Amino acid sequence: MSTEFPRWTRRSLLANTGFGVGALALASLLERDGALAETPRKPGENLPLNLDPRPPMFAPKAEAMISLFMHGGPSHVDLLDPKPELSRLHGKDYGGEVVYSFVNRATKALLGSPWRFSKRGECGTEVSELLPELGGIVDDVCVIRSMHTGHNGHEVSIRYFHGGIAGVTGRPTMGSWIVYALGSESRELPAYMVLSDPEGHPVDGTHNWSSGFMPPLYQGTVLRPKEPRILNLDPPPSARGAVQDRNLDFLDRLNRRHLERHPGEADLETRIRSYELAASMQTAAKEALDVSEEPESIRRLYGLDHDETREYGTRCLIARRLVERGVRFVQLFLGGQPWDNHSSIKSTLPAICRRTDRPAAALVKDLKQRGLLDTTIVHWGGEIGRLPVTEGALDDNAGRDHNGQGFSIWMAGGGIKGGTTFGATDEVGHRAVEDVVTPNDFQATVLHLLGLDHERLAYHANGREYHLTDGRPARIIREILQAPPPA
Amino acid sequence: MISVGLRSAVALLLAVSGGETGASDPPTFERDVRPIFKAYCLDCHGGEEELKGGLDLRLRRFTERGGVSGPSIVPGDPADSLLLFRLQDGEMPPGEKKVPADQVAIIERWIAAGAPTLRDEPESLPPGIGITEEDRSYWAFQPIRRPEPPSVVPSDRVRTPIDAFVLARLQEHGLDFAPEADRLTLLRRASADLTGLPPSQEQIDAYLSDDSPDAYERMVDRLLDSPGYGERWARHWLDVAGYADSDGNGSEDTPRPYAYKYRDYVIRALNADVPLDRFIVEQLAGDELVPRPWKDLSPEQVDTLAATGFLRNVPDTTSTGAPDEALASNQVVADALKVVGSALLGLSVGCAQCHDHRYDPIPQADYYRLRAVFEPALDPQHWRRPGQRLVSLMTDEQRARAEAIEAEAQQLQKAVAEKTQAFIAEELEKVLESYPEELRDALRTANSTPPGDRTEEQKALLAAHPKVNVNAGTLYLYNQKAADELKADRDAVAAKRAEKPVEDFVSVLDEVPGILPETRLFHRGDHRQPTDPVGPGGLTIAAPQGERLELPADDPDLPTSGRRLAYARDLTSGTHPLVGRVLANRIWLHHFGRGLVDTPGDFGVLGRRPTHPELLDWLASELVRQGWSLKRMHRLIMTSTVYRQSSRRNPSHDAIDSDNALYGRFPVLRLDAEALRDRILAVSGRLDLTPFGPPVPVSEDAVGQAVPEGNSPRRSIYLQVRRSRPVSFLTAFDAPVMEVNCDRRSPSTSAPQALTLMNSDFLVGEAQAMADRLLSETPADFATDRIGSDEWNADGAFRGPSGATIPQMIARAWTLAYQRPIDPDELDLALAFVADQIEAVDPAESESESEGGRERSALTHLCHQLLSSNEFLYVD
Repeated sequence: MSTEFPRWTRRSLLANTGFGVGALALASLLERDGALAETPRKPGENLPLNLDPRPPMFAPKAEAMISLFMHGGPSHVDLLDPKPELSRLHGKDYGGEVVYSFVNRATKALLGSPWRFSKRGECGTEVSELLPELGGIVDDVCVIRSMHTGHNGHEVSIRYFHGGIAGVTGRPTMGSWIVYALGSESRELPAYMVLSDPEGHPVDGTHNWSSGFMPPLYQGTVLRPKEPRILNLDPPPSARGAVQDRNLDFLDRLNRRHLERHPGEADLETRIRSYELAASMQTAAKEALDVSEEPESIRRLYGLDHDETREYGTRCLIARRLVERGVRFVQLFLGGQPWDNHSSIKSTLPAICRRTDRPAAALVKDLKQRGLLDTTIVHWGGEIGRLPVTEGALDDNAGRDHNGQGFSIWMAGGGIKGGTTFGATDEVGHRAVEDVVTPNDFQATVLHLLGLDHERLAYHANGREYHLTDGRPARIIREILQAPPPA
Repeated sequence: MISVGLRSAVALLLAVSGGETGASDPPTFERDVRPIFKAYCLDCHGGEEELKGGLDLRLRRFTERGGVSGPSIVPGDPADSLLLFRLQDGEMPPGEKKVPADQVAIIERWIAAGAPTLRDEPESLPPGIGITEEDRSYWAFQPIRRPEPPSVVPSDRVRTPIDAFVLARLQEHGLDFAPEADRLTLLRRASADLTGLPPSQEQIDAYLSDDSPDAYERMVDRLLDSPGYGERWARHWLDVAGYADSDGNGSEDTPRPYAYKYRDYVIRALNADVPLDRFIVEQLAGDELVPRPWKDLSPEQVDTLAATGFLRNVPDTTSTGAPDEALASNQVVADALKVVGSALLGLSVGCAQCHDHRYDPIPQADYYRLRAVFEPALDPQHWRRPGQRLVSLMTDEQRARAEAIEAEAQQLQKAVAEKTQAFIAEELEKVLESYPEELRDALRTANSTPPGDRTEEQKALLAAHPKVNVNAGTLYLYNQKAADELKADRDAVAAKRAEKPVEDFVSVLDEVPGILPETRLFHRGDHRQPTDPVGPGGLTIAAPQGERLELPADDPDLPTSGRRLAYARDLTSGTHPLVGRVLANRIWLHHFGRGLVDTPGDFGVLGRRPTHPELLDWLASELVRQGWSLKRMHRLIMTSTVYRQSSRRNPSHDAIDSDNALYGRFPVLRLDAEALRDRILAVSGRLDLTPFGPPVPVSEDAVGQAVPEGNSPRRSIYLQVRRSRPVSFLTAFDAPVMEVNCDRRSPSTSAPQALTLMNSDFLVGEAQAMADRLLSETPADFATDRIGSDEWNADGAFRGPSGATIPQMIARAWTLAYQRPIDPDELDLALAFVADQIEAVDPAESESESEGGRERSALTHLCHQLLSSNEFLYVD
C-alpha cells in the first residue's frame, strides 16, 4: 500500500486546498491506509447512512468515476467496431435473425458504414473518422466491442446499466451504490453529481439517478445546465453575506442550547454540523463550477472556444473539476436522444460526434496530465448499439434501429488497461459473440476497480438484502485491467 | 431472482437458530448443516427434481449416500469426505459464491462428530426443499400466545401490562424507567404522534390548567377524535400500501385521477376507527362485499370499492401500452403480492417467485398459491389496463339528465349552424353585388363548395377575387354584429352542456364474473414458462402442519371467485400467526420510531428478532381482544409509563443500552417530511385544513423544484404523489418515492436538508408569513410578565399594528414555534440578533418598503431560524 499512498494524497491535497476541510478528510485518509480491512458489522446491518469517507474492501485502483453516458444507442459499427464484411455486403439482405424495435420500418438490407476506420495510436486500435479526437487518446483507452443487454428498448437497457436489472426501476443506481460504499472525499460537494443537458432530462428522467430503496442521501444531485446549477445552493437575496452569517450564528446558538437539554443525542449534533457543511458548500460548489478561471489552453482543449463543443466541453471540464475536488461519481447525460439515429444517420451521427468527441477526449488528456487518470475511471457508452441493417429505405435518409445484442463502449483510467480492445461482435456487428460483456459484468468490474466486491456490497431494506448485480452471473473482466505493478 | 448476502445471512441463521453454541456442542444436520446447504447447494442438489451429479443433500442419509462420484461424506472421517474437499478447494459451489471458511469448518466438525442428526430422518421426501421441523419452530410461525405480564418491583410505575413487560427487561439489565416527561412535553409529543400537528395555544392552556386525574387520558382521547388523527396515521399506512397518484409508466407517468379515493377511504376509516380486521377485508376484497350491479351506489359502498385501491397502488406501466404487456402485467401482479407480503404477512414472499425461498420456509408453490388468490382480479391472461378498471358513479337519474341536456344542446347548436349559414349567405350576396352579373353564379358556387372539393378553376377564381371568401371564420370582417351574436349563441350552447352532471369514477380492483384464469407455477419465475397448475391458498407455514389453507376455486354464492374474500377472512380470523404480530409491530413502530421487530416488513429469518417477543405477542392478542380497534391500542400504548418517559439520555442507561432497544426513555424523533411541512405551515399561519378530495397538483417551479401548485398550504397528505415528480421538500426529508411501497422510512441528516431549510423559497416564504403574523396578531398585552421594560418597550419604540413591541413579538414567536414560553436569556439572545439584523438591512432595500420594513425583515430572519432549528424539527 505504501507505494500507492502518494496517489491518494495528491487528490486529497487538491480537495483540501482552499476549502479548509483538512483534518477530517486527512484523518480518514490515514485511517484508510492502515485500515483496509472490512469494517466489522452485524449481519443484516447497513453501512452508516452518511457520506463520511470509508475505506473500500480491498486496495482499490480507482477512487472516482466519470461516466459519459451516451444513451440512445451510439452506432458501434460506424464508430468503434469496424466491419469490413458489412461494407462488402452493403445492400445485400442479411441472412441472420434480427430483433427490431420499429417493425414498420424494418428491412434486412445491410448498411455498410459510410465512414472510414483507421488504426490510431501506438496500439493501432481502429476508430472511425467520426471520432478523430478519440483516435488521439486510444493508447489510454480500452474499447469493449462485445457489450450485450439482450434488450432493444432504451429504458429496459438503461435500467440494466444503472440499476442492475433490465427494465426494473426502484433500485439504486450504480452511483448510489458507490457513494453508499465509499462516502465522499469532499465534505463540501455532493458525492454523486449528475450533469444534465440543456435539451432536458434523458429518457427515463429521474430514474437515471434515483437512489431507489436507499435513502435520498445517495441519489444523484442534479447539476442543472443553467443557473442555479444546484437547487437551494444560493442564499435568498435577503440573506446574503453577513446577514446569512448572523442567521447561521443565531441558529447555531439555538441548536446548542437545545442540545444542552439533550446531551449525547448524536443526531442533533450531526444536524448542527450539517449546517456548517451546507454553509461551506455554498462557496465550495460555486468555486467548483466556475470554469472562468481555467487557463485559455485548457478552455481550448475542451472546445470552449467553439459553439459546437462549448456546452458539452464545459460540462466535461466541470466533471474534471468535481473529481479533482473529491466528488466520487459524476455522470453526464444528453437530452433529446442525439445518438438515436433511426433516420438520416449520415447527417445526424456526425453532428453528435462533433459535439462530444473533442470534449470527451480532452477529459482523458486533462486527467492524465494532472496525474488523476490513474485513479479516475472514465466511461463512455450508451445502453445499446444499432443494427447493421438499414432502417427505412437504403438511401440518404437511411437510419439504424436499436440493437441490444451487441455494441461497443470504451473505458479509460482507474486501472483499465489502455491501448486495448476486448470482445467482438459477429462479422456484421449484430451480436456479441466473443467475450460477451453484460451490464452486470461492467458493474462488477467498476466496483472491483473501486476496491469493492459486488457480491459483498450489500444494502438491507424492506427486510431484504440487495446487491447492485442482484446475485446474477457477473464477472470481473480481468482481461481489461492493468497488471498490478511489480512488487 | 433474489440475491442475498449468503455469508452474513447464514451466519445470522446460525446465530439465531441457537446452534453452534460452542465446541462442546457438536453440530447437527438439521440445525447447523442444512441451513448452509440450503443457502449454497440445494438449488442443484435437491431443490429440483433433476439432481446434479445424482447428489441430494436434503437429508443426512442422502448426503452420506452421495451421487455418481460415490459417498460424499464418511461420518467420523472428514479427511475422507469428498464433499468437504470440494468445498475446501472452492470447486463447489461453482461460480464466485463460495461457502465461507467458518461455515466449511462447521461441516467439518459435523462430519468429525459422526454427522449426527437431531432425530430420525423421514422415510421419504416429497420433491422440493420442503419445510422442516426447524423451520416450523421459528418464532414468527408459532401461534400467538397471550403471555402473562411479568410481576415486577417497584410496581408504582407499572400503569399497563406493557410497562410490566418493558420494566422486567430493564430490570434484568439493572435499569429502570426514565422519569416522567413534563406535561407540556407530553402534550407536544402526543399531538405530533397522533395528528402530525403542534397543539394550539388554546389546547395547551386547556390541558395545563386541567387538574383532573384523567386529564392526560382525556387529552389523548381528544387528539384521537380530531380529524388530524386520520390524516397522520393514514400516511403511515399509505407508505406500506405504496399509495401514488400516477401509473409510473416511464417519463409519461400518467396521473391516476381517481386514486385519491383510496387515500380518503383510509383517512375516513382510521378516523372512524373501523376495526382493522374489517379494514383489511375491505382493502383485499371490498369489491366482493358490494352487491352487483354497481349502480346508484351509496357513499359507503363507494368507499368500500375504493378500499380495493390497496391492490391497485403499485406501478402499472400498461396504462399507455407497454411494449411487452405480458411482462408488464406480470410485474404488476408481482408488485401487488409484494405489498400484501410486506404489509400483512411480514414476509418477503417475492423471493419465492423463482424458486423455493432460500431462507424462509416458503416453497415456490406457496407463492403461486397466493398468486392464485389474486389472479382472477389481476389476470395477465385477460389484462385490464388502469383505464379499464374504472366504475362510473353516475346514477341513472344523472345519466338521463345528461342526455336530456345534450339533446337540448344539440338543438341549440343546430340553430346556431343554420343562423351562421344565413349570415354568410347574406354577406356573400352583398359582396356579389359589386361583381358583374355573369360572374356571380360561378363565385357563389365556388364559395359554397367545401375547400377540399373545389376545382382548380374555382380555386383560381376565388384567389383572383379574395373578397368573395366569406366564411364562418371571416364573417366578423364583413359583419361584426352578426359575428358577436353567433359567439353569444355558441357560448350559450357551451353553458348548456356545462349543466350536465360531471361523470365521476372510482378505481376498483375487481374480477370479471365468469372468468377464472388457471394459475400455473412459472419455471424460474418466467411467465413464458408456465408449468404445473396450482389452486388458491395460503402459505403452508402460516398454518399448523397439515392444515394449510386451501380455498375453493369458486364461491358459488358470489358472482366472482370469492378467493380474496375468503383469504382476507382467514388473515383476520385472529389466529393467523403473522397478521396480528405484524400489525401490532407497526403500531408500536410509529409511536416509538422503531418496531419491536426492527424489520417491520420482514419477520423472516433475514429480518430482525423481536426485542420483546412476549410484549409483541401480548399486543397482538390484545389487538384481537379489543375488537381490532386501533384507537384502543393507541390509548393503551400512550397511557403507558413507557410512552410517558422523558427523552433525556442518562449516561448509565446509555452505557448499557445506547440505542434504547430496551425503551428506558422516550426517543428523540425527527419529524417526518409531511409532519415537518405541516408544522411549518401551521406555525406560519397558512395551513389549510380542508380535508379530502383530488390531490393538489405538483409542478416544477422556475428553478426546477417540484412544488405544490400555487404554493398550496394544504396538508401534505393531500399533495399529489406523482412518482416521476416527488415534492422536493418532502423527498429531501426522506419521504419515499413510491417505486413500489415503503416498509419503513430511514431518516437521514444531510447538508442538502440544511440547504433546503436555509435557502428554499418555501422556507423564506413561510418565515415571512410568520413574521407578518407576529406583526399583525401579537396582542399589545402579550407576555407582559416576560418582556422587561427596556428601550424596546419604551414610548416611541417600534410597535406592530396591534401595538405589540418587538420583545412581545419575539416571545410570541417562541410560543408559536416551540409551544412554550421564552426564557429570559433566550429573549436577550433574540433581541441582540434582531437589533443586528435591523441595523444590517440595506437602506436601499428598506426605502422601497413601507415603514417598519427593516423590523419586518429582521423578524423574518428570526422566524426563519426558529423554523430551521432542532427544537422545531424534533419531538422529544
